[in-house]
Amino acid sequence: MTTSTIVTAGDQKARRSSRRVEPIYYLFLLPSLVLFTLAITVPGVVGIFFSFTDSIGIGEWRFTGLTNYIAMFSDPAILQSYLFTIGFSIATVIVVNVLAFLLAVGLTARIRLKTALRTVFVIPMVISGIIIAYVFNFLFSNSLPSAGESLGIPALSTSLLANPDLAWVAIVIVTAWQAIPGTLLIYIAGLLAVPGDVYEAAALDGASKGQQLVRITLPLVAGYVVINVILGFKGFLNAYDIIVGLTNGGPGTATRSVAMTIIAGFNGGDYAYQMANATIFFVVAILISLLQLSLTRGRNAF
Amino acid sequence: MSPRPSRVRRAIAACAALAVAGTLLAGCASDGRETIRFTFSKREALTFMNGVVDAYNASQDRVRVEMDTSGVDVVSASFVRGNPPDIMLANYNYETARFVQRCALSDLSQTTAASTTRDDLQALMDQYGSCAGRVSALPYSVMAASVIYNKDLFARAGVDVPTTWEELLAACEKLKAAGITPFYATFKDDWTVGQGWYDYSVGGSVDVVDFFNRLAAEGDQVGPDSATSFQKDFAAPLEKMTQLTSQFVNPDAASRGYGDGNLAFAKGEAAMYLQGPWAFGEIAKTAPDLNLGTFPLPMTDDAADLKVRVNMDLAAMIPEGSRHKDAARDFLEYLYRPETIAAYNEAQLGFTPTKDAAAPDDPRIAGMIPYYTDGKVYQGPSVLVPKTIPVFNYAQAVVLGASPQATLRTMDADWARLAFRAPAPTTETEESGQ
Repeated sequence: MTTSTIVTAGDQKARRSSRRVEPIYYLFLLPSLVLFTLAITVPGVVGIFFSFTDSIGIGEWRFTGLTNYIAMFSDPAILQSYLFTIGFSIATVIVVNVLAFLLAVGLTARIRLKTALRTVFVIPMVISGIIIAYVFNFLFSNSLPSAGESLGIPALSTSLLANPDLAWVAIVIVTAWQAIPGTLLIYIAGLLAVPGDVYEAAALDGASKGQQLVRITLPLVAGYVVINVILGFKGFLNAYDIIVGLTNGGPGTATRSVAMTIIAGFNGGDYAYQMANATIFFVVAILISLLQLSLTRGRNAF
Repeated sequence: MSPRPSRVRRAIAACAALAVAGTLLAGCASDGRETIRFTFSKREALTFMNGVVDAYNASQDRVRVEMDTSGVDVVSASFVRGNPPDIMLANYNYETARFVQRCALSDLSQTTAASTTRDDLQALMDQYGSCAGRVSALPYSVMAASVIYNKDLFARAGVDVPTTWEELLAACEKLKAAGITPFYATFKDDWTVGQGWYDYSVGGSVDVVDFFNRLAAEGDQVGPDSATSFQKDFAAPLEKMTQLTSQFVNPDAASRGYGDGNLAFAKGEAAMYLQGPWAFGEIAKTAPDLNLGTFPLPMTDDAADLKVRVNMDLAAMIPEGSRHKDAARDFLEYLYRPETIAAYNEAQLGFTPTKDAAAPDDPRIAGMIPYYTDGKVYQGPSVLVPKTIPVFNYAQAVVLGASPQATLRTMDADWARLAFRAPAPTTETEESGQ
């Protein structure tokens, strides 16, 4: 779509007179279309189909109609996993964007060791999530409590991961630690695109640095904020590896994300039921996307 | 548009060719022997089982066994693809029992192996469900688990092995007074809470087989008003459990995991440890000569109620989808020869499930032998619930401070919801049929 618009936009008349589109464009689409169909659409449709059965993944199965869906809507565990996942995503998206934006402002300013610092801040991005999670798991369970003990801070001496009310904070911290670099890079790109003369003009008018940040920088990178919030939120909804490595859904069931519940269904022989869950999750994800798109359509400024 | 159908056709043809080639390769070896695929993925016993397979392959020239160690998930996938292994020895749990419930395994009742296994164990196997008229799986190795205790620390504090709940509390107080942590707990790993604290507490107080049969009969009516429910039957054991976990465990239990526990217990940091025989090997890595013993966790005031937790660590199964069932049966009989099955269990600290088999002679598990021999055993109530209900997580929540009553109410609701979708297996019909 986009490609053809760009090519023909130059000459509206020519486009109207001959509607022929170069077949080569369809050829470009074909590989991804085939892959998308085989790897996403077909399994997705098969999965939705099985959500109306009592299949456990193997052997005989029969249709059970809406049974799985009826059971699901009264399942507090599933409801809780949705609340946790959405709450966690909102918290993380705020933490990540605020910190990444401030870091980006710092890293685009005229400071020493700019390149070295940028490299350091981007390193977490290249480490796999599960490894980060295991390292932080050790820190939270061993290093932090022993440091708390020797410093005489009782609040630190019990593991954050063992507290059902606070374990989610640990997950937000670790997820943010991993997600900030990607967001940071986008913000840096955005900040570098802001022309320097607007700051000069602002400085001549007597705006302070703080005012410049709020009145000039932020509005001019608003489009990047929107991109980061949407991308981040979608990614955090699928949270899996970091939670598995940190708490494995515990303590108790306090930190089970939707993705974890769905995958537990495959391992636990509850394929059809979790397929129903996955179908609902798919619908929820689409609704959130539509909401975000309609809220931000055509608006790259606050 | 025209290239697409031919491309699809070519892809299908390629897949079909691959499938045919795969079947041919699996079916016949170059020397005319029938090749069968044997899945076995218990890491600790791979060397032993390799030896068995080699001996079998050398002993005859009709069948060649190839061992596949790729694990449970791959095996499940192979069932889905319609290309299951020819014979499997696997841990018997709800995951493997799925194949039983959906009749994906062949009947083994006519084999010699079936006639030599203990009848009382089949009832335990049936707790995971069964396929009508079939013996779908045979027990191969039974693991018994109970409290592991440090005999030297018990002697130092002047404590005897407790046989009643009152004695257990007294023993804990005495150990505490002597400056010894009574139990080493590893609450960070939820399975250790389920396997140890939850299972020993409930199994020691409730008739597990009877409870789950009654619960299955209640079906989706399980709740505060039903005659049988988690909140009615498990409340007392869980109260006792929290009494122990709140007073007599290491203070950092919430942030300790299984590995930490093995190390700390090996270093003599506590007198008792709720783990199975698999932990002995790990403890021995640090302290090979530690003087250890086992005893069932006493939960009542009657020493006659003592029971040990067992699980079917390995069960033998021949899938219905196998194209080499006769060859697989031949190998099955070989595996069940008295000397092979006894040697395996001897090496793994397991109990041999055949009739008149000798009890293991390792002093560390000697404390459980009388109970196993008398059939005073139960299977862990944490593993008799389908994995959809996260019992391990719930048990962990309780030891970390959640209300046992509220947690058990949640389990009742989960059970009822599950029964509404899929009825639970029961052992009652099978028993009356036999």
